[in-house]
Amino acid sequence: MSNVINEANWKFHWRLTESAGIMVYLADFKGRRVMWEGSLPYVTVDHQQQSLDVATEASEVHGPWWVPLGTRTIQGPVRVQTFRGGVELSAQFQAGPYQYTQLWRFHDDGRLSPWLTIYGPGVHDQHTYHPHWRFDFDLDGARNDAFERFEGNRWHRVETEGWFPYGGEADESGSVWRQVDVDAGSAINIRPHSWDDAEVFAIRYHDGEWAPYSPRSAAGSQPFPAAYVGDEALDGDDVTLWYVAHVHFDQSFPYTAGPWIKVEGLGS
Amino acid sequence: MAAPKKAVKSAKPVKAKAKSTAAAPGKIASKQGAKAAGGRKTPDVAAADPTLFDPLTPGEIADALRTLTEDRRLGSMAKVGRYRVICTEPLVVKPPHWMAGHRLARVVVYDYAADRTVDACIDLDAGVVSHLEVTKSQPMLSRDEEALAISIAMTDDRVRAKLMLGDVPQTTMHYWGRNPKDISFARRSAAVIFGRSDGHSSVVAVVDLLDNQVTQVVPAEMW
Repeated sequence: MSNVINEANWKFHWRLTESAGIMVYLADFKGRRVMWEGSLPYVTVDHQQQSLDVATEASEVHGPWWVPLGTRTIQGPVRVQTFRGGVELSAQFQAGPYQYTQLWRFHDDGRLSPWLTIYGPGVHDQHTYHPHWRFDFDLDGARNDAFERFEGNRWHRVETEGWFPYGGEADESGSVWRQVDVDAGSAINIRPHSWDDAEVFAIRYHDGEWAPYSPRSAAGSQPFPAAYVGDEALDGDDVTLWYVAHVHFDQSFPYTAGPWIKVEGLGS
Repeated sequence: MAAPKKAVKSAKPVKAKAKSTAAAPGKIASKQGAKAAGGRKTPDVAAADPTLFDPLTPGEIADALRTLTEDRRLGSMAKVGRYRVICTEPLVVKPPHWMAGHRLARVVVYDYAADRTVDACIDLDAGVVSHLEVTKSQPMLSRDEEALAISIAMTDDRVRAKLMLGDVPQTTMHYWGRNPKDISFARRSAAVIFGRSDGHSSVVAVVDLLDNQVTQVVPAEMW
C-alpha cells in the first residue's frame, strides 16, 4: 500500500511510528504546503482516588502512565478509506484494558480532523485520558508564522511561547486558536471539541525539540510539552502547536477527542 | 517551572567515516553557505524530499547504532554495556538547517549504568553523530524492558499471592510516581497490569527496572 495519498484536494504522506501513532507528514492542500508533520506522541492516563477518607489521601497518589501507540500495540493494518467529500486514515491500538482508534480525516473543503476514539474499561472507572497531539504547521513555508487566540470577542496575537487553555470563548466558526502565515494571510483555525477541556501549547520550533519519546522529563520537572515552554518570541517565526485534551472516563464511552482544524486562505 | 531551553549542539564529529558519497558536515555547511551567497533561493519546506521520512532499513539502523557507540563522548556507556536501545527512527530536519536533505536517524538509548538518557541524531550520509543530548529524562520503555517487567512481576511472591485463577499479564504500562517518596518518582519503572483476558483487571505491580524488583502491589480497583 502506498503511503502517499492524493485525494480530496489533499496530498499527504503517512507512516506508522514506534510510539506516536500514525504520523502524517508533508501535507499539502490544493498544492500548497500546510503541515510538515503531525502525530500523537502519547496518551497519558491519570487515576483519581476512590477513597473519601482524608487520612489515606496523601499515601494514595499514583502517577500517570501511558503506553506507546505504534508498531507494538496496533491491531490490524492502517486503513485508508474514502468517504463522501474526503479521505481518512484509521488504526486501532490496544494495550490491556485500554483501547484506542486513531483517525486522520481530510475533507475537500480544507478541514482536517486528527481524532482519537477512546474506549476500553481501564483498570477502574475513575480515570482521565490526556491525548497529546503535536502539529508542526508550515503554511506557505516554515517562517513568518504567528499564533493567535480568541479572547474578549476578538483575535489577539500571542507574543511569546505559552500554555493557552480554552476559556469558553470562540469566534463565529467555533475556532479558539489559529496559526497564521503573516505573508500570505492564510490561517490554520483550531476548534476544540466542546467536551475536550482542551488546551494548546504554542512553542517556537527548534531542532532538538522534536516529539519526545515519553512525556516524562527529569524527576520533579514538568513533563513534555510544558518542559519545552520558555519565553521565546513566536511572532514571525516557526511555531509548533500541541493540542491536549482531558477526557474523564464515564459510562457513555466511547468518546472521540481531538480538534477540528480548518485551512483558510489557501486558494488554488 | 519549565525546564530551560537546551541549545542545539552543533555537530562535532569525533571522526567522520570515509564514505564516497558524503562530505564532512563542515564541508556541507560551507557548500550551502556558498550557494546562498551566490544568490540561490533558500531551500524551503515545500521542497522537502518525502523519502527522508521513510522507515530506516535494518542496515541503516545498524549503521546508526555503530556510529553512536563509536562516538568518544559515549565511550564509557559503550564500554560498560548496560544500556538499552529504546528507539531508532528516521528524523527529518527542516531547511535552512545544514542537515536538511540528509538521511538522519534519531537514536534514543537509556544508559542503566549512569541512569541517563542519550538522545542522538546520526547523520547517515556523513557517518557522524550530529546532535547529542544526555539528560536525566526518562524515555519510553523498550519492548525488552516491557517483557522484563512482566517476568519480574510474575515471579514475585506478593504478586502471585494476589492473582486469581485465570489472571494473566495484560500489559506493561510506562509509569512514573508523582510523589517524591515513591521509588518510581525518580527511577526507571514499569507498571504491569494483571487480569482476565476479557479485559477485567485485578492487580497492578510496579517494577523498579534498576534493581529488577517489585516495589508495589496494588489491587486494580484501588489504583
